Amino acid sequence: MSEPGAPEDFASGAQPWDDLARSARPAENDDERQEDLRQLLTFEIDSTPYAVPVERVREIVRIRPITPVPRVPKDVRGVISLRGEIVEVIDLRMRLALPPTDPVRSTRIIVVHTENGKVAGILVDAVREVSRVSENSIRPSANSETGSVEALCVRGDEFVSLMDLDRVLEIHAGH
Amino acid sequence: MRNDLADLTDQSGGSGDVDPELLNGIFRSAHSLKALAGLFGFEPIQELAHRLEDILDGLRLGRVALGTAALTLIDEAVNVFGTLLERVGDAEAIADAGEQIADLSNRIEVASHESPPEPGEFDALDLDSSLLRALTEYEEHRLRENIERGRHIVIVESTFEIISFEEGLSELSTAIREIGEVLSTLPAPGETPESQIRFSLLAATELSLNELSSRLNFPSSSVRSVYRADAASGVAAGVTPPAGVVDEIAHEVVSPPIVAHETVPENENLQSLKSISDTVRVDIRKLDELMNLVGELVIQRGALGDIVSRLMSDTKTARIGSDLSKVYKAFDRKLKGLQSSVLDVRMVPLRQVFEKVSRVLRGLRRELDKNVRLEIRGADTELDKLIVEELVDPLMHTVRNALDHAIEAPEERLAAGKDPEGRIKIEAFQRGNHVVIAVSDDGRGIDTDRLRAKAESRGLVGHDEVLTRQEMLDLVFLPGASTRDVVTETSGRGVGMDVVRSNVTALGGVVEVASDWGRGTTISMTLPITLAIIQSLIVRVAEQRFAIPLNSVLETLLVEETEIQRSEGREMLNLRGDALVLRRLAAEFCLDIAEDDGRRFVVVLGMGDLRVGLLVDSLEGQQDTVIKPIQGPIQVVDGIAGATELGDGDPVLVLDVASFFDDSSRGGREAA
Repeated sequence: MSEPGAPEDFASGAQPWDDLARSARPAENDDERQEDLRQLLTFEIDSTPYAVPVERVREIVRIRPITPVPRVPKDVRGVISLRGEIVEVIDLRMRLALPPTDPVRSTRIIVVHTENGKVAGILVDAVREVSRVSENSIRPSANSETGSVEALCVRGDEFVSLMDLDRVLEIHAGH
Repeated sequence: MRNDLADLTDQSGGSGDVDPELLNGIFRSAHSLKALAGLFGFEPIQELAHRLEDILDGLRLGRVALGTAALTLIDEAVNVFGTLLERVGDAEAIADAGEQIADLSNRIEVASHESPPEPGEFDALDLDSSLLRALTEYEEHRLRENIERGRHIVIVESTFEIISFEEGLSELSTAIREIGEVLSTLPAPGETPESQIRFSLLAATELSLNELSSRLNFPSSSVRSVYRADAASGVAAGVTPPAGVVDEIAHEVVSPPIVAHETVPENENLQSLKSISDTVRVDIRKLDELMNLVGELVIQRGALGDIVSRLMSDTKTARIGSDLSKVYKAFDRKLKGLQSSVLDVRMVPLRQVFEKVSRVLRGLRRELDKNVRLEIRGADTELDKLIVEELVDPLMHTVRNALDHAIEAPEERLAAGKDPEGRIKIEAFQRGNHVVIAVSDDGRGIDTDRLRAKAESRGLVGHDEVLTRQEMLDLVFLPGASTRDVVTETSGRGVGMDVVRSNVTALGGVVEVASDWGRGTTISMTLPITLAIIQSLIVRVAEQRFAIPLNSVLETLLVEETEIQRSEGREMLNLRGDALVLRRLAAEFCLDIAEDDGRRFVVVLGMGDLRVGLLVDSLEGQQDTVIKPIQGPIQVVDGIAGATELGDGDPVLVLDVASFFDDSSRGGREAA
């Protein structure tokens, strides 16, 4: 059971979510630069960096027992209980057409806001950081196989894939 | 307030003798309304409330005769309030209403000064003039009224301990109200110890002094008569029980009148203001949150219970275990208390819904020109707030149907030997863990032949199908089964009862119909009191647990695989001569089948006449469960109603029992 209201830290020795978000916030007198900056939460799947917009993230929790749900696509791992809320967890590996793996120490569930005002969980291999990137460094992604990646973002010497969360969460029930 | 007004109309229609408490209640409502309007700066509303208060005050004091004119004005004013309150944010609507209000206010002002108050003559009373002076105008009026009615006027004196006097005083007042009317309550500064306080209650009753004394069996209280209708002299007749305090009061009451004069009306104000601040509006989501926390505590309690039994089972720790067990039991009791208190907070009386319905009905009555009397019973019956919200539509549909279809035109009623005024009764009462809401009318009843013909023409029923009377009546719940050919504003488009049924079913309830041709129809809805916590049976299939709402479980059986028979590709069980269709939960949900030991548990599910048996691996007992919706992209899964948390904090899926029934579930002997 987690402490109600307090998001858990998500990597050993890492700062809690709040602190991370705070550190990523631009300084107060930075107003004109804020407009072309985006805050992204980066995480890893199969050692590859991916990101989602920070404003879509509600909290990050450690892996916990997931109850499988029958009659749903395999991408939905099941449901978890979040302080009494029952939330579906989507396996992002399977969503990206990667083979599933067993959870490891760094496995996290990112709880994101859905379009309809609810929340959903996304299972990822590890959470990295919250970073500010300028709009200039974001390039629309032309050829995404699964349609889950909407843009690429250059960070130092690597590309971070910016996820299209609404596409990721577009799963239809069926047998 | 609307209900009180309706009562007022009824009462005044009879004799013109109106319960003063009722009038006071309405007065207080108007007063609160004024205070509220002032608080939010809705000047037009405040102005109207002020005028309304004037006319009500006039009624209370007997200055204005309670007649149709006054009632119409009040009713009109209340209706204007209704519209204003609904459109409070709409500045234009308020401006529009301004003129209407000004007009109404003027008329009320004229009406409320119809007759000037007459000076009272209470010389015949054995009352000290200072006590008389202490009476407010209203109290004088009530005194006058009661003397005119020839009632016996008495003073009841009583001494109370200061620390508990409010309780004692209200007990005494209640006791007097049962046999008469309390006209005024005044402090009586007799010779009392410092820890005590004396009150004199001026009261009116039909009883004699002796009867009164014996009925009011209160310690340290005394009764004396100040006026008797039959004692023409008007001098004190009667006994003076315990001490000779009577004279003392008469003399010593001299000083307090001024105080009393000020406190009485002030108390009234305080009371009406208090009724505003005594209640708190709370977002239902906050209550859900609270409910969640309690649910989590219940789960923790389960874990605690496990530890207690582990400690108790080991001789080394048995002592500390039994100590902990005591604490656990106390904790358990308190937790149950907390749980029921939280549930209780979610409960709201049906009154609001009933008021809404009767308001609409009154409007329709005018529109359809039908003479109908609405009776409401059990408006204080409480239900979960969420259920009450969802109930408005089905209830409205049902009542509209009754008014539009069932109640005949006055001439038709007369011809049938009925009272030309129709009756619609809405009644609510609690039955076990359910609340029943019944809407009955004394109209023409349901024409089952016509209903059947209609259903046949729509292909809902075969021509040669044999139906019992009840089955024919139940056709009314099928879509497109309206028996009225004329489509009206109100209903009659062939949607209605099927909508009512689906709404009620969605709330976990049942709706039933009973009807006597020519005599009337009753539609009753049975609803669970709360959706928040239900008892569930926990079962295990292929190492996964599921919860089944216990209210759908008829029984559980242990069967051998060899007992299971097959017919037309379906598995069945001979259950006391009836064929019970079986469904394997593991197969339904594509779960890995567990080791086969040849024995299975069958959970027999029932809903109305439908039966189905679910095959599961094992039963794990009953638990209180709080069903939560599943959040995420899928949300709705066939066969799953939601999920709940159990003792260990893991989510467990709750089965949607209704989805396991199909045509084969009607079962019956012919297949066995």
